[in-house]
Amino acid sequence: MSDFFTETLYDPLGQSFRIDKLYYEQKTEHQHLMIFHNAFLGRVMTLDGVVQTTERDEFIYHEMMAHVPMFAHGNAKKVLIIGGGDGGMLREALRHKNVEQVTMVEIDGAVIEMSKQWLPNHSQGAFDDPRANIVIADGMDFVRETEMRFDVIISDSTDPIGPGEVLFSNDFYAQCKRILNPGGVMVTQNGVPFFQVDEVRNTAIRMSASFSDQTFYSAAVPTYYGGIMTFAWGSDESTLRTIDLDSLQQRYQQAGIETRYYTPEIHRASFALPRYVDIAIAEAKA
Amino acid sequence: MTQRAIRYGATEDEKALYLDLVKKHGSPLLVISREKLLQQYNTLKQQLPGVALYYAIKAFPYPAIIEILDKAGACFDVASAGEIDLLQAQHISGRRTIHTHPIKKDAEIRAALRGGSTTFVVDNIDELKKLLPYRQRIGVLLRVSFRSETTQIDLSRKFGCSPDSVIELVEQASALGAHIRGLSFHVGSQSTLPKAHVEAIERCSQIINDAAAINPNPMDILDIGGGFPVSYNFEDMDNEAYFTPIREAIKQYVPDGIRVIAEPGRYLIAPAVTAISSVSGKAKRGDYQWYYLDDGVYGSYSGQIFDHACYPLQILNDEAQREVAILAGPTCDSIDIIAEDIELPKLEEGDLVIGHMMGAYTYATSTQFNSLSGASIIVI
Repeated sequence: MSDFFTETLYDPLGQSFRIDKLYYEQKTEHQHLMIFHNAFLGRVMTLDGVVQTTERDEFIYHEMMAHVPMFAHGNAKKVLIIGGGDGGMLREALRHKNVEQVTMVEIDGAVIEMSKQWLPNHSQGAFDDPRANIVIADGMDFVRETEMRFDVIISDSTDPIGPGEVLFSNDFYAQCKRILNPGGVMVTQNGVPFFQVDEVRNTAIRMSASFSDQTFYSAAVPTYYGGIMTFAWGSDESTLRTIDLDSLQQRYQQAGIETRYYTPEIHRASFALPRYVDIAIAEAKA
Repeated sequence: MTQRAIRYGATEDEKALYLDLVKKHGSPLLVISREKLLQQYNTLKQQLPGVALYYAIKAFPYPAIIEILDKAGACFDVASAGEIDLLQAQHISGRRTIHTHPIKKDAEIRAALRGGSTTFVVDNIDELKKLLPYRQRIGVLLRVSFRSETTQIDLSRKFGCSPDSVIELVEQASALGAHIRGLSFHVGSQSTLPKAHVEAIERCSQIINDAAAINPNPMDILDIGGGFPVSYNFEDMDNEAYFTPIREAIKQYVPDGIRVIAEPGRYLIAPAVTAISSVSGKAKRGDYQWYYLDDGVYGSYSGQIFDHACYPLQILNDEAQREVAILAGPTCDSIDIIAEDIELPKLEEGDLVIGHMMGAYTYATSTQFNSLSGASIIVI
């Protein structure tokens, strides 16, 4: 009999994954991590009883979180990733040829080492790219203290119940604003609103305190079940959000990046939100 | 004060076992019997068929016990992040837990959620509000208070809302978007008569029926707590007499579709653990013969302070000539006395004193006072 991993995210329901082979399980200093193989999804990484990423659908999450802000910006030279220990976000950001440096700040060095060993298809060598600047530090401390400046900041955190809590705080957004270059943008993963609409409400309020243009965009990542997930968007440059399709197509073609989910059309469409999300945001900001 | 039960003498098999264990593992020891633990678990399953058993880890938070009960199919009652860690270390999913501490810090709630424990117990609106940030992830049990005169330890004084306030709490919870899954109660520990459980089951069942009209989601759990008694005087428990009324109350009163769960701690583990201590020294002081053991109330016998327990003792020597004696523990404190004014045959240094029924709230509340490392725990 095979074991099943049953997610413990919600009390009344939960998805199960057959563990065909357990590669790694450890309680690290900050969290409980597991990497196993599932016949359909490939390698699956879980943290604290919640699926973080799978080989089969990680491209959706990583492409949408990296390429939407980067193509909207159009000329990002310096990129900051908070979290992202599996290396997938680093991989997508570095695919932009014009990027000079991607700084990745991960709180737990063990996650990077385990990912290199057990999820090599996520990073695909990105950790060895000379433009990759890997920092093992608390993301909050880093944004508070750094003198570096960035064009795009991507917060690839765990959900706010875990050690990622501070990455959903007013202070974090304010510090990100401080270290963004003019015309820059920050994006954060913001959960599945069908189940966790409070996360949209909280972020809408907190991020708006720092950025004049604050909204969300979305993508459906199958293993983050419950329909679409949202990404929060914060910038003081509203034209980044409203960029037209022609410009995006031009940038996409010039970049020559082969994507599997992202297209300029998806990019534009992803800012259209279901009405229940719109209403939650409007109520929060009212 | 409960009368201390003492058994003088032992069968050859018992003697051989105790001496052999001390020879192999030293003294003092806490010996966990796998067979006895499973026997208690199976007895309770038989007496309360269909009731899911959540072992109250706090009674004896120890990996081997969790492992044995896990394999037997038990679930777990946790009250702290540390207890969840014990389960995680053995790959037991938080799905198989309920978090039963009614008063929690936010950090405790978050740690429980990370450990996969998503069903929480509360007993008032302020505690319910602490859960609201996580309301989309969790289920809630309301703890109802029933005062009882027949329990040794009254747990309905410190925790629980009055039965009359439940409907209002359910209304408030549903208005705030929290899902009330059901009710829980705890009649107290070492509840010697089944009446307390029977009355609470009846009343809670009524409340569940009343709440159905106003709760947007049907309740699905009635948690009847623990408190099932064990014998501390070498007598066999009449399980049939005790559990039959409870079993019948469940059958008679609990509405269809409600899953009944229980949180046994003492009942499962108390009879499964035996303490073996040995005489470290002796002295004649006035009329009393003092014997100093290598374990005491700061160690395995801590339940005599914290749990109001009076453990039955066994002396291997059954000589008829006895004198009034005092059994003291190894620390420097004068409170460290296990038994006074008891009649004992003459003991020598190295002689064994056996404590029975030593599983519940013994190791759990023992200390390292005097930098004593305490009894070694072994499983047989």
